[in-house]
Amino acid sequence: MKKTVLDYTLKVRLPVTVFVIILSFILTFFVSRSERDGIGYAPEQPIKFSHKLHAGTMKIDCQYCHAGVEKGRFATIPTPSICMNCHKIARKDKPEILKLAAYFSSGKAIPWKRIHRVPDYAYFNHSVHVNKGIDCKNCHGDVAKMDVVSQVHSFTMGSCLNCHRNAHQRLPELARQIKLGPDNCNACHR
Amino acid sequence: MSRNEENKKFWLSLDDLKNSLSSAKAKENEFADGMTDEFKPEDMPSHSRRKFLALAGASAAFAATACTDYRDKGEIIPYNKKPDDMTIGVANYYASTCTGCSNACGILIKTREGRPIKIDGNPDHPVSKGKICAAGQANILNLYDPERLKEPMSGTNGKFKAISWKEIDNSIIEALNKSSADNKEIAIITNMVLSPTQKKLFDDFKLKYPTTKIYSYELFNDKNRQSAWKRCYGESNFPVISWADANVILSLESDFLGNEGNFVEQIRLFSGKRNVDDAKNFNRLYVAEGGMSLTGMNSDHRLRIHPANQFEFVMSLLNEIIFARKTSLSILNPAFTSIIGKYNLKDFAGKNKISDSILSSLVDDLIANKGKSIVYAGDVLSVEVHIAVNILNEVLGNNALYNKERQNLRQLPISENAEIESLINSMYNGNVGAVIHFDTNPVFHFAPDFGYASALTKVPTVISMCEHENESSFRSNYILPIHHNFEAWGDFQARTGLYSLQQPVIAPLYNTRQKESILHNWINGSAENYSEDGYHQYMMKNWEQNIYPQLMIASGFQSFWFAALQEGIVNYKSPVQALQFNLSSIEAIDYKPSKGIVLVLNKNYTIGDGRFANNGWLQELPHPVSKVTWDNYAAISLNTSKQLGVKIGDMISINMNGKKITIPVMIQPGMADDVVSIELGYGRKFGGTVGTNVGFDGIQFMSKNNSTQFIIHGVSISKAAGKYKFASTQEHHAINEPEVMDFPKKRHIVQEGTVAAFISNPDFFKEGKPKTEDISIVNRVEYKGTKWAMSIDLNKCVGCGICVSACNVENNVPVVGKDQVLVGREMHWLRIDRYFSESPEEPETSNQPILCMHCDDAPCENVCPVVATNHSPDGLNQMVYNRCVGTRYCSNNCPYKVRRFNFFNFRNHFEDGYYHKDSLSLMHNPEVTVRSRGVMEKCTFCIQRIMEARQEAIKNGVPLKGSEVKTACQEACPAEAITFGDAHEKDSPIDYMRNHKLGYHVLEELNIKPNVTYIARLRNKATEVKS
Repeated sequence: MKKTVLDYTLKVRLPVTVFVIILSFILTFFVSRSERDGIGYAPEQPIKFSHKLHAGTMKIDCQYCHAGVEKGRFATIPTPSICMNCHKIARKDKPEILKLAAYFSSGKAIPWKRIHRVPDYAYFNHSVHVNKGIDCKNCHGDVAKMDVVSQVHSFTMGSCLNCHRNAHQRLPELARQIKLGPDNCNACHR
Repeated sequence: MSRNEENKKFWLSLDDLKNSLSSAKAKENEFADGMTDEFKPEDMPSHSRRKFLALAGASAAFAATACTDYRDKGEIIPYNKKPDDMTIGVANYYASTCTGCSNACGILIKTREGRPIKIDGNPDHPVSKGKICAAGQANILNLYDPERLKEPMSGTNGKFKAISWKEIDNSIIEALNKSSADNKEIAIITNMVLSPTQKKLFDDFKLKYPTTKIYSYELFNDKNRQSAWKRCYGESNFPVISWADANVILSLESDFLGNEGNFVEQIRLFSGKRNVDDAKNFNRLYVAEGGMSLTGMNSDHRLRIHPANQFEFVMSLLNEIIFARKTSLSILNPAFTSIIGKYNLKDFAGKNKISDSILSSLVDDLIANKGKSIVYAGDVLSVEVHIAVNILNEVLGNNALYNKERQNLRQLPISENAEIESLINSMYNGNVGAVIHFDTNPVFHFAPDFGYASALTKVPTVISMCEHENESSFRSNYILPIHHNFEAWGDFQARTGLYSLQQPVIAPLYNTRQKESILHNWINGSAENYSEDGYHQYMMKNWEQNIYPQLMIASGFQSFWFAALQEGIVNYKSPVQALQFNLSSIEAIDYKPSKGIVLVLNKNYTIGDGRFANNGWLQELPHPVSKVTWDNYAAISLNTSKQLGVKIGDMISINMNGKKITIPVMIQPGMADDVVSIELGYGRKFGGTVGTNVGFDGIQFMSKNNSTQFIIHGVSISKAAGKYKFASTQEHHAINEPEVMDFPKKRHIVQEGTVAAFISNPDFFKEGKPKTEDISIVNRVEYKGTKWAMSIDLNKCVGCGICVSACNVENNVPVVGKDQVLVGREMHWLRIDRYFSESPEEPETSNQPILCMHCDDAPCENVCPVVATNHSPDGLNQMVYNRCVGTRYCSNNCPYKVRRFNFFNFRNHFEDGYYHKDSLSLMHNPEVTVRSRGVMEKCTFCIQRIMEARQEAIKNGVPLKGSEVKTACQEACPAEAITFGDAHEKDSPIDYMRNHKLGYHVLEELNIKPNVTYIARLRNKATEVKS
């Protein structure tokens, strides 16, 4: 039979093309995974606030600033008025603090860039986790070592369930105190 | 160029114009000869431009996936200074007072991050006790209504332009001063005045502008009850009735459970005496009425009595009780006794075809329960009936049920028709300088023969203060937008012994002002010094100087005031009213009933006097009797419809002295013959996008001369051309087919008994019931821990629909519109099914709230191809919107038909996105997903409330207690018919209800293990009456 262009296309070109497409898809899927999940996302913030300095060196408790995290769903970002509790006096001549003081006195809100985000349809509850004694760093990483906060763990449903279903392995220090996390839909979605 | 120049030719070239042959030929081929001669694809370079583009595109795409930057997650913006008393994500509650009608109920407003999102009754309020009506629940939609007036406006002839408050204040103050100087009247037209500070404000206004007169009106009022009371007791503030102590209630044309008086309180007290565990003390409700009301639906015995014959009925009862049963009262005036002698109960029964046995058991009951029964006449009835009823209650010693410490109170009397008529006359004569509509709509509400609308044109300054445009504001010179209920201050005293306070819970959304503040500013006489806080300060001062000293409270004013605001109420000891009945003064009352068809103008159940017309939630709330939404109608009996030859939805015309309305007909089982009833408040002409032209306006039949404004004699009805479609949430046809009528009873959907049977054998209900075999094709899940369940006590449920309204607000249920209800796409998660049984003339009605039963073996779950609906370990049938692909198999397989499908994004679909505006997103409950197009939804047992309770339990380190979770419907139910909780919690209310002797499940033979237990209704039939 005569070899036609069609034959060549079907037998050689098409499989090669498909292979290349699939290979590149698989490669990019795994290579870009962390970026898609936001791991490593460390946007520039309007004020160069250092968690390493405040939570690490000075050992200020997370909940001093993130007040209310044990009462409701939200961790809450501290308001400038909380910052100003100290910075009315402390380091008030430094450029970043001057920025902060300007926000505070003008009454404007600080547009912090959001780093950790679960979608709207998931009703994650900070207070139940905190009140069960689960440390913030289990999800947020060791913020006390970060000058610029970046996302460390993925915030997908898979990651949530991974911990809910294997809580005792993931949190051995709490194994005696906590049960497994719920894995029914209503636990997060309503 | 006009159309008739069709022959005009267009040409491209002069050749074309000459229409030469060559030109025509050239046009045959796309390319001219030789144009493509040199184009040989094989000679082209191998990397063509096209290929290059494709390659470049592909590599760009790969590069994009491989090296994409992080997705931006937006910003997260904290407060600058967070209010101290607020935690983000935790609701705050504020006590206030509802201004939706003249009941001044105490409310508790739930706010999240400073936004009101849910209203319930104030539990500390002694009248409301944590309950509020459907309109009060849905009032929140009015706050965020996109069509609220946002700017003050001035103009004439319906053309308005926005101007500043300052300009408007200046010109109005000038006009008011001029009116005062010219000795021309300034008329303030207000609704019923219940606020002591508002009254003081009016007084101060009169001091500043001495020609001011205050007129107060209510479309639905109890004028007749009041004037009868005045004639009998010399006092127009009639006392509150202790419904909770009444063993026997005879209600005459009164809907005291549906919309009359403080019906929310009345439902609570009435249902309190319907406790199956205290069946011996069940109350018995006799209802004598011409229409079919919610109260009639809940009666034990219902007498169909033409409203014109009510007087005769009461007089015959008096005759029977005083003379035949010898319960005489010597102080009766002899002239009056001789009138009573003319009436006879037997004759009355014969004439009106009422069964003697019911009447005699009624009389027996009334006499046996002397001092523990109450006869209650409706607001629509005439003064004479009310007087006769007062006498009847005195004869029976029922004044024991008048609560002498609590009288209904109003700061100003409702204006008589004559006063309003003289106002309108002076308007015509040019003696009125200014008219101020103080959040009222008299153009719509006043009887047309007052001629109010045309009189307005003779007034130089007409001012309307309102939240929404209305018929009256359209005819004004100035439209002043006012604060909503939740943005304003106020104090109310609807009853003696109790003040109720109103406080703002949100800063004004728009450039509005509180209506009292506006007047207050005018009293100050200067537009310059307006302060938003002015009326608040004025009110505090009034309290400090005038009210607080009388209360004799030990604490200082400041601490008293803040405590009072926190609680929302101030109780005080009011003097006991000495009720001295002046029986001998009643000499002769007479009432000549006229023959023929009577038109009864009733209060509607949802939209108040029309002020809630632009509220989609309320328009879509099914009528508790007919289940019709988005409409009113003329209700007539089956016999009357046969005489007219009309069917449901046919148009009829009602005529009376030249007034005419063409209105669709609703054949209502249980109506008396020759009665037409129309509900008022519908048919708004300027009611906003939602409310305009919904329903038909029956106010035109009211007249300034009628002594009974709501019962219209001398009407004639005839069939008219045309058909009309009602958007009903329940099928309403086939009422006269007996086999269909008894269907729900045959299928055991509705299961009922009688009190007598229950007392003689408490196990009667479950005895002889076939045991359903507990089989399952799947492995039964063992529920350990918590298992959520609900029970609904059908003895207590009156079918008012408040739960539906509460559910709508709590769960972000959208408004779909009449066209969608017509095709059965209403989205209510909870519905109240209404069943008629027996005959269409004398039906028995049963109500049954139906919601998702969260069946253990839920049929919906098995058929979902994507497992979007499945079961949680605590017994909830969960619905996951993100998984749902919209096959609707689940709804198809649900035997209760409680699943609702989003055929559209209804917020966007309804009236071109009317409810998709920004202001509405502030209203939504942030704990509940706002569903979009293409997903199924249904009752979740208020999962967000369960999760909140769980969060609290974890916070406090205690186990979750199911009885502490309250669903929205349960919290709202004024009858306390709904119980919710953990079925596994020992000795909890729900545990008790699930094992109740009268408990049953709907369609339990399907063996799907539903988790909503119904407590069968017991009818408290008089034993001697054979039904």
